Amino acid sequence: MRKELEHQIPRKGLTVWRLYGLIYTLILSIIAGILCFLTYQLDWLDIFYYIAIGAVLIVGFAFIWLFPKIRWDHWRYEVREQEIEIQSGLFVVKRTLIPMVRVQHVDTTQGPILKKYDLANIAISTAATTHVIPMLITEDADQLRARISELARVAEDDV
Amino acid sequence: MMYKKYRLHPISAVIGFLKGLKDLFPPLLILLIANGFNFRADAKHFWEYIPVIIFIVVIIFYLISGIIEWRTFVYWFEDNELRVEYGLIVKKKRYIPFDRIQSFNYKETILHRLFGLVEVNVETAGTTSGKPEAVFTAITKEAAEIIENETKRAKTGQKPGDEPLDEAVQSNPEEEVSQPSHVIYKMAPKDLILLATTSNSIGVVIAGVAAFFSQFADIIPSDWIVEEVAAIVQFGMMFVAFLLFIAFFIAWILSVMITFVNYYDFTVVQENDRIIITRGLLERKRIIIPLNRVQGIKIIENPLRQLTRYATVVVESASWGFGKNDTNIAMFPLISKKEMYEPLRRLFPQFSLQFENGLIRPPKKSRPHFYRVYIIGLIPIIAICSYFFYPVGLLSILLPFLVFVLGLWQYKTNGYLISGNQLTLRYRIISRLTFIAEKKRIQVIQKKQNYFQKRKNIATVQATVMSGIGGATGKVAHLNESDVDTILSWFERSKENKGKAE
Repeated sequence: MRKELEHQIPRKGLTVWRLYGLIYTLILSIIAGILCFLTYQLDWLDIFYYIAIGAVLIVGFAFIWLFPKIRWDHWRYEVREQEIEIQSGLFVVKRTLIPMVRVQHVDTTQGPILKKYDLANIAISTAATTHVIPMLITEDADQLRARISELARVAEDDV
Repeated sequence: MMYKKYRLHPISAVIGFLKGLKDLFPPLLILLIANGFNFRADAKHFWEYIPVIIFIVVIIFYLISGIIEWRTFVYWFEDNELRVEYGLIVKKKRYIPFDRIQSFNYKETILHRLFGLVEVNVETAGTTSGKPEAVFTAITKEAAEIIENETKRAKTGQKPGDEPLDEAVQSNPEEEVSQPSHVIYKMAPKDLILLATTSNSIGVVIAGVAAFFSQFADIIPSDWIVEEVAAIVQFGMMFVAFLLFIAFFIAWILSVMITFVNYYDFTVVQENDRIIITRGLLERKRIIIPLNRVQGIKIIENPLRQLTRYATVVVESASWGFGKNDTNIAMFPLISKKEMYEPLRRLFPQFSLQFENGLIRPPKKSRPHFYRVYIIGLIPIIAICSYFFYPVGLLSILLPFLVFVLGLWQYKTNGYLISGNQLTLRYRIISRLTFIAEKKRIQVIQKKQNYFQKRKNIATVQATVMSGIGGATGKVAHLNESDVDTILSWFERSKENKGKAE
């Protein structure tokens, strides 16, 4: 067994994921509301009420409470001198190993919600793939970006 | 000092024009159909002519832009760079240092061949967008030779003008290629027929022929059909079988023809540190893969070919000739497995090809994971099919058996092997794939594990190398978790630093 990775996503990240879930649920509620309204006006079958309410409840439960929790529990990362290791996933737990020599560039991105919470995403690009470490404290993310780019420059191709 | 500036061959104006027309073809067709094909000269109103006028204007525009591009396009060699300039209103300049140039890929359409011309695409190490760095639409073969020699000379560090390039210029390209190089692989017409017969695309062709036949149903008057059906009943199965045979035969002929056009005279040549692939009947293409750009190889055996001990070998390269469509072009489209190893060994001495017996297989406990989920997933489909298409739908009960057999087959096929700095992954989707890559070429390795796999301590491993614009991935499912961890540790560089992070 490989050992558990060192770093977790900050607690604030979980809050932001919940917030995203809330937004999805709100959008779905509006759609469900329209459906209920139409059902009432046009005298459709009662089953539409149950479908609408059920969908909102299930999606709300999953996207606000369950999924962010599972995802947050799974997320781990570690930046070592020679490689970056990331663990992620919801139903399938993925463990990704990126050697430093393969890193081509590192980006940090920050949308309005992340900015409010002082968080940022880091995207690590190789020649073939891109890997994201989400929801890091902005300062940490900037430091990490600087560190990865420095390590990536130092790391030499040994093989 | 003035440098000699070269131009394209005048035919490139025509080719540019035709290329433009090709882009225009779909809207043209739509407009023609919308108009009902009735372009009469006796139209009453002026506006009835507008579509025609628009088209004439657009065609003239393309013609002029083709001519302009040809007239303004110049290239020359200066300061160890290949310099290209073109454009009338927006002038585009592109200076490519010689030592950045990876390869020159050639393409000859019928029009090119009539005049002894080639289209040259220049590829550099930085070409990641899938587009060549520069395209010379049509130049003579001699001119192409000059560009190549100029580049070669600059790379070997000679000053321009040091060595006369007469002998290379005067000899034709075919002779030039055959001097220091040797042919690694060549397809005989017999191989082409075999390739066409066993290729996956034959199914597509069969579907196409079937669709074509079904079109006849609309043309043939319906009472004739009724008689025909009666006749079919009379003649019984023999006639149906005969029709089927004819359809398959036509499909086969078409498949062979398509293969001939694409793969005719398929030749792989090794010259110093690069592979040169030429192919095509009507449109000749020459693609160069520098060996140091090769990221890994994939050996693909579809069930039919596995049975006949043949395989396809695909090279995953960081550079790929003429864009996306060519990533699928194999290095050996069809080669018998006995003959495959010798040229592979010669081309890639770094790879160990002794993996047939040493593969580490998935454990027995992972067997159900290959089919269980899919069979459960099929149950609702079977229920729906059986309910809605009652008698025929019951046939869907056979599906789980197919899935089961395929799953077992995948279980039997899967495996991996680490030999020194090389990772070999073998797995099956339907065809059997063997993915071989060196550690230094692998970009990322991932371990995946779902809840059920975690319970049984098994995991899926997946390795990605760079290939063309994106990446190529090899993936072996349901190995022992400890084996997957071994692969990850093998890929790690800092074993001694493990756990000491930050």
